[in-house]
Amino acid sequence: MPVTFTFGEMLSARSVIGTTLAELGETHENLWVLTPDIGATLVEFRDKYPDRFVDVGLAEQVCVGIAAGLAYDGNIPVVSGMLPFLSMRALEQIRTDVCYPNLPVKIIGTHGGLVGNGGSTHYAVEDLALMCALTNMTVTSIGDPAMVGEILRQSMSMTGPLYIRLAVGKSDKVLYEPGQHDIRIGKGIVAREGSDVTIFTHGTVVAQALEAAESLAEDGRSVRVVDMFTLKPIDADLVVQCAEETGGRFVVVEDHLAYGGLASRIADVVVDRGIHLTAFERLGIPQVYAGFGGDEELRDKHGYGLTATIAATRRAIAAKP
Amino acid sequence: MDNDLMETEQRHSVAELEDLAFELRSKLLQLCGTYEGAVHIGGDLSSADIFTALFHYGLHVDPDDISNPTRDRFLLSKGHAAVCMYIAMSMRGFFSYEGIVDTYGLLDSAYGMHPCKVQLPGVEASTGSLGHGLPIAVGMALSARHRGETHRVVCLLGDGETGEGSVWEAAMAARSNELGNLVAFVDRNRQLMTSFDGERVVLEPYPDKWAAFGWNVIQVNGHDMGELVSAIDRFPATDSNRPTVIICDTVKGKGVDFMEANLAWHAGSLNPTDLARALAALESGRTHSSAAEKETV
Repeated sequence: MPVTFTFGEMLSARSVIGTTLAELGETHENLWVLTPDIGATLVEFRDKYPDRFVDVGLAEQVCVGIAAGLAYDGNIPVVSGMLPFLSMRALEQIRTDVCYPNLPVKIIGTHGGLVGNGGSTHYAVEDLALMCALTNMTVTSIGDPAMVGEILRQSMSMTGPLYIRLAVGKSDKVLYEPGQHDIRIGKGIVAREGSDVTIFTHGTVVAQALEAAESLAEDGRSVRVVDMFTLKPIDADLVVQCAEETGGRFVVVEDHLAYGGLASRIADVVVDRGIHLTAFERLGIPQVYAGFGGDEELRDKHGYGLTATIAATRRAIAAKP
Repeated sequence: MDNDLMETEQRHSVAELEDLAFELRSKLLQLCGTYEGAVHIGGDLSSADIFTALFHYGLHVDPDDISNPTRDRFLLSKGHAAVCMYIAMSMRGFFSYEGIVDTYGLLDSAYGMHPCKVQLPGVEASTGSLGHGLPIAVGMALSARHRGETHRVVCLLGDGETGEGSVWEAAMAARSNELGNLVAFVDRNRQLMTSFDGERVVLEPYPDKWAAFGWNVIQVNGHDMGELVSAIDRFPATDSNRPTVIICDTVKGKGVDFMEANLAWHAGSLNPTDLARALAALESGRTHSSAAEKETV
């Protein structure tokens, strides 16, 4: 039974992963779950399907290699772990063993962005750039914890690889009322309508972008927020539409390197489609190793927190065509 | 009976296998003389007897039904020996040798320097980056066991390749998951690309390394067909709980005297003169060993 969620409540994406995988394990007898020793939330699946659960210990490379071997044999493997390690230690296995033969392996993990206060060893800040570079890979970054279950369910019918990025995933706000949005891999979500400017965002900072839009609405500004949770393939038509409908004014906010992530994906669409923009504000992690601190503190320090988002959005609105 | 493929197969004698290995080496050298670029001839020749023993004796495969679920899975982890595998497979009926020799390495050919499953169905996995084959083999062995299938997963590695840490991650995973249906062959030719084992990299005590990871260890002369066949005959049951490694002592460049244990022949190409020399050396080595055999009889 899919669990139902209430709009606005706090929810753990990790528990959604655990519950959803246990549910899918029943309907998909070829679903396997693998982890390099990050299995706390996978206990339900492990206990129900011990023969299809593999914990390799601290060994990301073989974890992804085994997933490839399982997929070659007709299985659907989900590798769950921490993204700084999966996306970098096992990068070549993801690229060569999974993407090259286009196998239906799903990589899902936490610690995307400056989250969890682990320091730069434990922040995945380059991962979206790396994953978007891989031929055949579909790349997602999810902020709404309830959405994780929906994306996992949709992914069961995918024939190629999928990357799902989460932040810490312990407690995040449910952003979307059930049934109010068309949530599909490859389609951006207009999380809030607006006509003055579009904020494109993904992952954990979608909530912050919505807060910025709410705050600017008090000044009479109409700010559109697009949750571009699929970075690859990018919803280029929606980018074009937003340029037309919000005066060519774009702000991109993301918990990833400012160059190489969503902002770069959107800039590519702008160039490739010949879009004329009035403003393009790019907020994300600069080229630094970010240091320690709380999630919000780090976002503020590095210039992509709430205050900076509001300021950048004002600048975009004020820009002269 | 391990599986239904075994019932229909004819298994070759040691003498027949030796003839097949000679044919494989000859065809390999011919290709090397035809293709303009470099071929990994040293590591091809060191593993030629292993390929022969596997494709003509050890592996239960069906060239006419490459997706048969009961087939043994063979993964070439030392992917740079792909051309030797293609030819061995052609001799088993998978591909045509002419197709390989006419198109190897050319634009749009399915036969490239490293095997690609997408371009060449019949090979089991896309490999070539060292240290990747054994982890994939572990996944295939897990899948087979989970489905109650009785085929084996066999993976060929180079000894130099086992410097990659992912090999040992896989060795640990195979033992942890008690994969008795997994067999690794190591082509122990004691050469890396630019040095001999022991010069800059020390692999010994080599069998102890595998034993320490909990594997059954069998050591053979990788150029003695009788020993290879005997090792294959001693594969443990697929429902046993320990993976097996067959460490094959070999010589890089085996069969062509001027290539043997010679760092210059890790990879190379053969001009017509060198090809004639190489074929003559191969023939002379064969005559020599047959004569020696007769003497011992």
